[in-house]
Amino acid sequence: MIYGTGKKKVKIMVSAIACVLAAQTFTGCGKESSVTGGGETIVLHILENDTAKSEGYLEELLNAFNEAYKDKGIQAVDANMDEYTDLAANGPYGYGPDVLYQANDKLMTYAEDKHILSLAIEDFECYEYVPEEAWDAFKIVLDGETYYCGVPVNIQEPMLFYRADMMPENWEEEWDDDGNGVADFFENWNDLYAYSSYLRENDTSSNKDSRYGFMASLNNLYLSSQFIFSYGGYVFGQNDDGTLDSTDVGFSAGNTAYGMNALKQMAALMNEGCIDDTITLNRYEKVASGAYFCAVSTPDTYGLFVEKLALKYEEEGLSASDAQAKAEENLCMIEMPALMPADGDLSTDSADMGEDDWVNTIVMGGVNGYGISSYTEHREACIEFVDFATSYEMIKLRADTLGIAPTRSDVAQEQGGLTDMIFNSLSEGRIYLMPSIKAVDQIWVPMQTIMSDIAKDAFRERNGETVKYPDLNSLQSALETADKNVYDAIYTLSD
Amino acid sequence: MDKKSLRKSSFPVKASALIMGSGQLMYKQWVKGLLYLLVFAATVVYMILMGAEDIVGFFTLGTEEADPWLGTSGDDSVIMLLRGLLAFFIIIAFFAVHFSNIRDILEIDKKVRAGKPVPGFVKSVSIFMDRKFYIVALILPVAGVLVFNILPIVFMILIAFTNYGGDTVPPKLVDWIGFGNFVKILSLSDIKSTFFKILAWNILWAVLSTFINYFGGLFLALLLNKKCVKGKAFWRAFPILAYAVPGFITMLAFKFMFSYGGPINYYITSAGGSAVGFLDIDAGIKAKLIGLFVNAWISIPTSMLLATGILSNMNTDLYEAASIDGASKWKQFIKITLPFVIFSTTPVLITSFIGNFNNFGIFYFLRGGLYMDGYFLASDTDLLINWLYNLSIDNNYYGIGAAVSLIIFIITSIFSLTVYVRSSAYRREDTFR
Amino acid sequence: MKIKKRFGKNSIIDGVVTHIILIAVCFVFFFPVLWLIMASFSKGGSIYDFDGFFPGSFSFNGYSRLFTDTTMYDYPNWLKNTLFIAVCSSIIGTVLVILTAYTISRFQFRSKKMLMKTALILNMFPGFMGMTAVYLLMVNFGLINKLWGLILIYSAGAPMGYLVQKGYFDTISNSIYEAARIDGAGNMKVFTKITLPLSKPIIVYTALTQFAWPWSDFILPNLLLKNKDMWTVAVGLMHLDETQFTRFAAGAIFIAVPIVILYFALSRFLVTGVSAGAVKE
Repeated sequence: MIYGTGKKKVKIMVSAIACVLAAQTFTGCGKESSVTGGGETIVLHILENDTAKSEGYLEELLNAFNEAYKDKGIQAVDANMDEYTDLAANGPYGYGPDVLYQANDKLMTYAEDKHILSLAIEDFECYEYVPEEAWDAFKIVLDGETYYCGVPVNIQEPMLFYRADMMPENWEEEWDDDGNGVADFFENWNDLYAYSSYLRENDTSSNKDSRYGFMASLNNLYLSSQFIFSYGGYVFGQNDDGTLDSTDVGFSAGNTAYGMNALKQMAALMNEGCIDDTITLNRYEKVASGAYFCAVSTPDTYGLFVEKLALKYEEEGLSASDAQAKAEENLCMIEMPALMPADGDLSTDSADMGEDDWVNTIVMGGVNGYGISSYTEHREACIEFVDFATSYEMIKLRADTLGIAPTRSDVAQEQGGLTDMIFNSLSEGRIYLMPSIKAVDQIWVPMQTIMSDIAKDAFRERNGETVKYPDLNSLQSALETADKNVYDAIYTLSD
Repeated sequence: MDKKSLRKSSFPVKASALIMGSGQLMYKQWVKGLLYLLVFAATVVYMILMGAEDIVGFFTLGTEEADPWLGTSGDDSVIMLLRGLLAFFIIIAFFAVHFSNIRDILEIDKKVRAGKPVPGFVKSVSIFMDRKFYIVALILPVAGVLVFNILPIVFMILIAFTNYGGDTVPPKLVDWIGFGNFVKILSLSDIKSTFFKILAWNILWAVLSTFINYFGGLFLALLLNKKCVKGKAFWRAFPILAYAVPGFITMLAFKFMFSYGGPINYYITSAGGSAVGFLDIDAGIKAKLIGLFVNAWISIPTSMLLATGILSNMNTDLYEAASIDGASKWKQFIKITLPFVIFSTTPVLITSFIGNFNNFGIFYFLRGGLYMDGYFLASDTDLLINWLYNLSIDNNYYGIGAAVSLIIFIITSIFSLTVYVRSSAYRREDTFR
Repeated sequence: MKIKKRFGKNSIIDGVVTHIILIAVCFVFFFPVLWLIMASFSKGGSIYDFDGFFPGSFSFNGYSRLFTDTTMYDYPNWLKNTLFIAVCSSIIGTVLVILTAYTISRFQFRSKKMLMKTALILNMFPGFMGMTAVYLLMVNFGLINKLWGLILIYSAGAPMGYLVQKGYFDTISNSIYEAARIDGAGNMKVFTKITLPLSKPIIVYTALTQFAWPWSDFILPNLLLKNKDMWTVAVGLMHLDETQFTRFAAGAIFIAVPIVILYFALSRFLVTGVSAGAVKE
């Protein structure tokens, strides 16, 4: 009955299918039309990060490149995509960028499946200026062969942002025991703890919510990494051949439980905002308003801190340019204090501690760099572009415009100061590089959960609730659970 | 028309059975015959050019791995799966056309033999348009749903039987692994226990939130319906404002409000209290209640509109009679209003139950990024759909995710089909008109 | 009248209580929206310089920057894309839903039950599990980065939510149709000349819901639109930097306004449409 005179139905369906087929045949490969198009000129789609774009660096880079390569018929344009666009999903179908700038952990997840090209790094002009550690961030071993899949540009590590005017007026007398001209609370964590608790005690506001010392989102593995890596913790172990062994998850290795104890102590000097993302989100305003003495962030956010502080000064009646100048002068960025207490007890007076009582602060960091999509149709042109973008002039311009810490030693030295220090930290092992393998994706949520739970303990104690991690053993077993959770996330479901 | 009748049939019928449309042409049915022939030719060309290859690809899922470094284009397993599926859809469609073709030629054949005139193309189209209006009307909707809803779902069901995911993503080749994923789910105690814990909460959530939203809307509508309320449009404006703000923005706003740095905690601490972790790891029941509240906030405006409309359709005589009989307001509500409203809205209730059961946004936005002890890649507020997201999108286990969603799907569809088929609204459909 | 007198005193209390509850409920609904509106006028640009719910100082910057400062966030362009997608999907989707609902309500045919059950089951499927397939389909058809690709998906998915509309058509008395049929009108004619004029409320309701969905959807456009200048408002807002809260709020309020206006302009139809649709008899 239903099929009785269903022929017309069928006909329409057939024409629909024919349309589908036509669409398939004609547009099956969307790539050709999108890339070449204009005949001889090769167009490269460059994906940069949002900061580079908003600060105008990307435009300068593209203009400089297009000027230089006008005769060779290569033109670079902004890929105009989300900065974290997924190359693995888009690249194979022709919708990805040709060249992309990203952090090493992100970039290298693409390398395992060969979504980005391996490069002959010796051919790049920057090769000899970039230290081996930075290159290693882009190293991958496939079937026993070593490949490099990215060209380093700059180092990212969590930094301390503070307001110079909030330092104690007499810091040179009271807070500089070694008399080296650098306040002790920027040199070791016990003094930072001491100064933070001093600020808390002198918080005169009615609800004691207006004066804090050191502030960071303690649930954030990246921003609070010193509590793990300084104490011998690691992400993944190493195989004999130097490659990473993701079956060996090491957040509980070494004395990390001490580190967690320190984290808990630090939490007690903050507010509950350290348990979730609150501090990460409000640090700019709260540093500007003077509620936080110092907060943790990455170097590329310096501009944001200054912007908010300048806004504050403007409200107080300064002109825009004066406010900007005053904010820039007042807002300082430094590396985290270099020494942590070996026993994880931040409350010990630093004067009572000997040389052996300290461990070096090690933070998690990353190297940002350029990778080239395997799906580009103009590999040579892309290499030209990356070579150009990592040249002395461009990296210098980038450092000047964005305040990044370059991996090129010549620029780092010339910039001097902090830039040079960050550069040295990398080569001296004070930065634990984010592992460049895919499995690293699975560490974040389990670690975020455990770290926020430990931080919360400080507030459980304050509110008279049952404390979940009263001693080192419980902290240790919590970390081991986290290791197991990471392992499970990686391996339970794969064979 | 079994084989026997075909063997006995005339030559044009046989010809049409072999080559679509040829018989019609022999009977001088030019347009119709040509159309059939065209479809036939198109299908043959398609099969030769792509179809055959796509179907082979469907079974092998690729034999040659691509190496993007060398620029060798290998096989993309998931695309092959999809194209194979498309090929099957096309073949099924072809047989449907072929079937109609044979019916058509037999009918023509019969008419010719009986010496009756065969209607021309235009005429037969217009007859068809009228007699089978429902087919004409449903063609496009059904085709659209077929390609953009059913095809993806079939695709996903098939994925449940492959090892797609984890390290096995293109360019690596994916393989059929039969029930491997299901075996894995059932043999891993972590996953099993997580599954049941989440399922229990999910059912509770769906029941509670459907109940709250439904009766919340009804309550509000009744309130606005009261005689003493003046300026109904004004009062109704507030829930509608709430409706107009896109859901994801509302959810982000609520997340912020309940966060440690948010305004609610600001007032609590200003008043001298200590901050409350509404959504943090210890939140437990608090987070669940907030989820229910936010969901109600988002959904009640719609259900209020619905209830308002239904109430305006109600026969008010019943109330008059009831109040004269001295029945209390509450009794009137229970005996008259409620049965009427519930009876009228069973299908809507089921849809809203399903919507709540698969409500992804609430806990994704409010409380994402937590994996709790005792849960495998999930937290205690996550619904099955959030867990699926964690498994398949965040952690790339597409195959496992697909298998889990297939299990969920079977459970929920059995449940809702049972309710639906038993519901008065559906039963009425039997005797309807 | 008599009854009213008897409850005279009670009804005053009743009225007061009712209004108190109403005010409370409206406050709950209005407050977050009000807060968002205030945030959109905040001068600081971030919610963290608020005192509780209230911004420190107010300005129009949020809105003006939305339309002037477009290097990073091209809001006008997003708005244009969103409008195009929503209007087209609304038109096509409404036609399809109305056709489906009318046909299923009006006609008896053998596979009807099966179709209805299938639609119900399909709705049960977790949507994003099919996203991989949708993405690959669109890749295959070359519709990535194309607004039409989204319109296609929204329109094609629309008939799945035909239940309310079907309910509406169920309420139209069969005798009207029978009379028309006896007068010799074909089914097509019955649909265009009789059904459509009677269904204004439900068409308005459908068009509005079909408009509102793409207008505020985030998941699909985020999956299919790769280039920033193809983005819709929802995708764009989700990608705003965390420090841009004022802009976020302003952008959100700005796209909420058309929906509110449409609702009030059409509320007459809506209530009739949705109610008749939900009521089976």
